[in-house]
Amino acid sequence: MLDHNTLEIIVFSILTLFMVGGSLVMISSKQTVFSAFGFLLSMIALGGMFALLNNRFLSIAQIMVSVGAIVILSMLTILTVNAKEENLPEEKNKFKLIFISAIIVAPFTFLLYKSLTTLPEHFTKMGTINSKVIGSLLFSEWVLPFEIVSILLLSAMLGAIIIAKDKLKGKNS
Amino acid sequence: MSANPFFLLVAILFSIGLIGVTSRKNLFVVYMSIELMLSSVNLLLAILSQVLGDANASVIALLLIAVIAAEAALFLAIITHLYRENRTLDSDKFKNLSKVR
Repeated sequence: MLDHNTLEIIVFSILTLFMVGGSLVMISSKQTVFSAFGFLLSMIALGGMFALLNNRFLSIAQIMVSVGAIVILSMLTILTVNAKEENLPEEKNKFKLIFISAIIVAPFTFLLYKSLTTLPEHFTKMGTINSKVIGSLLFSEWVLPFEIVSILLLSAMLGAIIIAKDKLKGKNS
Repeated sequence: MSANPFFLLVAILFSIGLIGVTSRKNLFVVYMSIELMLSSVNLLLAILSQVLGDANASVIALLLIAVIAAEAALFLAIITHLYRENRTLDSDKFKNLSKVR
């Protein structure tokens, strides 16, 4: 019979495999749709990771917003743009570039990890974070950022419509 | 289970996003790498919320999800517009702002 800790480590390993594998597929594949599928895998595994961290609300929000809206929107855009083979950028020595930039980025990764491990390494027993906790904090201490975010979403929607619309016919000539 | 493997995962994910931004030319891949970097920050906020025992970090993560959604909408609109104007997805072709007159 598996105890709690071993089970946690097994789930963490599987989710890590999916996240890192998906993101490696994302940055290394030539076809854009395969990149989008790797991104989808990575985002779903991130939702599972939030659930592993005992954070129910963020897990559901991640699945609904990131997977249900952002990834689907990017896939729709990729299929709408429908770039032909000759319109994709020509990347002959892509893996060489990825390897070189991996070597350059590696010390930064090590520095980031070392500076993060100065934080306390044991989880506190604070229980699950559900929508009740989040909601009471959001509408008591975080009201102003919440309103600013709503204005930001509205302006982003208007800006996206204005940028992406076709040109009017009279203006073109 | 201690929190150190989670921190290692955050560092690796952020670095993969950084590698994608610096080494690829396809605009969609650059966009998805930026999303990956933002998501790794989101994961770090969720970890900190459990390590420090404070639910405020989860609220920041929720607001960050909304910012990610706004960024996605604008970035995809810009990519559609650029593709319609120039018929290419190569980020090296868009050099108009870098010309010194």
